[in-house]
Amino acid sequence: MLAKRNLVLVATIAALAIVLTAGSAPAASFPEKDITLICPWSAGGGTDTISRALVKNAKKYFGVNVNVVNKTGGMGAVGMGAASTARPDGYTVGMITFQLSTFQSMGLAKLSYRDYNLIQLVNQSPAAISVAADSKWKTLKQLMDYAKQNPGIVTVGHSGAGGGWHLAIASIAVKNDIKFNYVPFDGAAPTRTALIGNHIDCATTGIDEMLQLYQAGQVRILAVNNTSRHALFPDVPTMEEAGFPNPTPILDWRGLGAPKGVPADRMEVLVKGFKGCFDDPEFRALADKLGLPLVYEDPKGFEKFLQGMEETLVPALQSVDLYKPMK
Amino acid sequence: MDFALLTKAFGTVMLTPINFVFVFIGITAGIIVGALPGLTATMGCALLIPFTFGLPPIQGLLMLIGIFCGGIYGGSISGILIRTPGTPAAAATLLDGYPLAQKGLAGKAIGIGTVASFVGGTTGALVMTFLSPQIAKIGLKFGPPEFCALAIFGLGMIITISGRSLLKGIISALFGLMITVIGFDPLSGVPRFTFGSENLLGGVTFIPALIGLFGYAQVFRNIEKITTLPPVETRVEKILPKLSEIFSNLKTMLKSAVMGTFIGSIPGTGCDVAAFITYGEAKRSSKHPEKFGTGILEGVAAPEAGNNAATGGAMIPMLTLGVPGDAVTAVLLGALTIHGMQPGPMLFRDHLDVVYPIFAGMIMAQVVLLIVGLSGARVFAKLITVDRKILTPVIFFLCVVGSYAMRFSFFDVGLSLIIGIIAYFMEYYDYPVSPILLALILGPMAEQNLRRSLIISHGDPTVFFTRPISAAFILLAIVVIVSSYYRIKKSMEREQENLFAADQQDDQ
Repeated sequence: MLAKRNLVLVATIAALAIVLTAGSAPAASFPEKDITLICPWSAGGGTDTISRALVKNAKKYFGVNVNVVNKTGGMGAVGMGAASTARPDGYTVGMITFQLSTFQSMGLAKLSYRDYNLIQLVNQSPAAISVAADSKWKTLKQLMDYAKQNPGIVTVGHSGAGGGWHLAIASIAVKNDIKFNYVPFDGAAPTRTALIGNHIDCATTGIDEMLQLYQAGQVRILAVNNTSRHALFPDVPTMEEAGFPNPTPILDWRGLGAPKGVPADRMEVLVKGFKGCFDDPEFRALADKLGLPLVYEDPKGFEKFLQGMEETLVPALQSVDLYKPMK
Repeated sequence: MDFALLTKAFGTVMLTPINFVFVFIGITAGIIVGALPGLTATMGCALLIPFTFGLPPIQGLLMLIGIFCGGIYGGSISGILIRTPGTPAAAATLLDGYPLAQKGLAGKAIGIGTVASFVGGTTGALVMTFLSPQIAKIGLKFGPPEFCALAIFGLGMIITISGRSLLKGIISALFGLMITVIGFDPLSGVPRFTFGSENLLGGVTFIPALIGLFGYAQVFRNIEKITTLPPVETRVEKILPKLSEIFSNLKTMLKSAVMGTFIGSIPGTGCDVAAFITYGEAKRSSKHPEKFGTGILEGVAAPEAGNNAATGGAMIPMLTLGVPGDAVTAVLLGALTIHGMQPGPMLFRDHLDVVYPIFAGMIMAQVVLLIVGLSGARVFAKLITVDRKILTPVIFFLCVVGSYAMRFSFFDVGLSLIIGIIAYFMEYYDYPVSPILLALILGPMAEQNLRRSLIISHGDPTVFFTRPISAAFILLAIVVIVSSYYRIKKSMEREQENLFAADQQDDQ
């Protein structure tokens, strides 16, 4: 009697288990509803534009839409934090950006790439060192020589202390024993305007952010802080060509991450789907037009890149006195 | 300027009836999101962008422009009716709009606001059409010292929005300035006063603060008198302002429109700054400054003309330099970029086929705005007759939703509630809250550019006085502050004497 009852119990449990596991692993049917992509920066900005353009044709690759939600604040920490702590069912993913590499070492937030199941790298942008078109400096060498003889005189605008462009120029300055007078602005657009309005001597921004002014002949770009030239800026020399080799340049980056703990089969769907979005001709065309250098890395390669980036950033942060690692 | 192309573009846009439909949808949607506290024109545009993907670029842009103009206008409707500005740009309008509504003249306030918006918006759109490249050049002359001087000039307006006690107004403004230093400091790269909270890294966000200062504070005040105060009797039939009323305010409107366009066209200052500066100037130059704040039409006409003129102004640096004048134009910039037309100098060279229809759309939007606004005013004005016992919880609900929806954050809900409680007690003790808002708008601009200027000048403070534009603004600020102070003081004394005389007559 008892044995029989146990048998029933076992059978019930077994049946339940089958039903439950079947319910939790419908690999073929993910995604069943729209996916949310958290953008940690505000609507209209560069990251927002890229996020929206990336998922514009998402239905082709996922069968469902991917909706962009802006969750802003805290230098991106709020939105990136929300993506890392979202329910790990694969329906919420997030755009992650350069700041993620500096949160911990600047003591801003306990957040790093280790908090995500990485999906892919989307772009890597190098810095451009630009002067106004009527500036007396024609080459990077002239600028650097002048700055060396007059320490602390040349004003260099960048888009915010501790940001990628600040650190990029700071690490170049440290390597070449030069002291600039840094003028932080709130974003790239005001930096650009200040440069062509002759309020600052020199500016570091993403090279793509200078595209229009470069094409209109309003700025002269002295060098691109990368190891290779940029296709849309064919006459802009690399750092090495300009005489200041910089084999490990600090690059701005954007990528995609899912919360830790998303099941492997769903991660596979996400990685494949977003690769599709990334290769979409319409997205490619827009990125080309904007001069945005798209660089794909799969989860493994992305992780390696981020690891290297953290290592490169520490000395740069130390050089500008912003290295305050979290305990 | 290619006039043949311009005329052609205007012809094509204006003569295609479907375009009117898109502008109409945009304006109507804009007024709704603008009027609801917490939903702003910025959000309206951001939400709409995905829908414009399927449309031809021009029509998508027309709809977005509609939302932009409608949103800035719509914000004042809720400001006038329930003293809760839907957008920051409407916060100056309520200073006189709400007292007008309480006198039963809500319809008239909305009516004059609509006409003023039309006058302002059209001025802005026309200036933008014909003078964009020239004005952009002036914008480039603004470096950190000029921005700092402009912000100081703007902060001088505290004197005109302080109500009865200047001292209390200044205390409020200082409180506001203190709030603005919270958060990550982009100049030094360190967080200030965040107490380790990630939510405060970005500082006290603007919209939750706005909802707290006005929305919640108003809810609490309503609760206080919910059972005692009779409902406002509104004379709905008097919706359209009389022609004479329009003409007597026309000078104020035009002056505000020109000022608003200029302020909007400076990269980094938008509709909100324009509204406060034009209100302050109207009060300063008025023959009867003491009547401002008690509910006069001029006090609605000036900021409404100013903030709508700034919409056209703000488009100028966005289109010519790729620098957004404010948050909404930042979203429009993103929309243009996604549609493959990145604003900047190249847009004017290569894409006049896009630029001119935008100009046409801006002008069209003003006409549609006038029609929709005036025909809707009657409906809006009726809202105020709703029983307070129903209206108050509805406003409360909107405040909660609005503060959450800005960035889907419960932290913001709590933050705006706390600010609301502070604002309620401040007003209870006669501390005006508008200076807090003005400080929130201009504080970061003043502080950052002060420090930036000093970095550039290697610590030499004379930089503010040796550069002509900066020196002019500082001089202007001093003139405005001193003259406002004496004029307002004098008019207050006159009022006091009148009251005193009236008292004595009563005694006799």
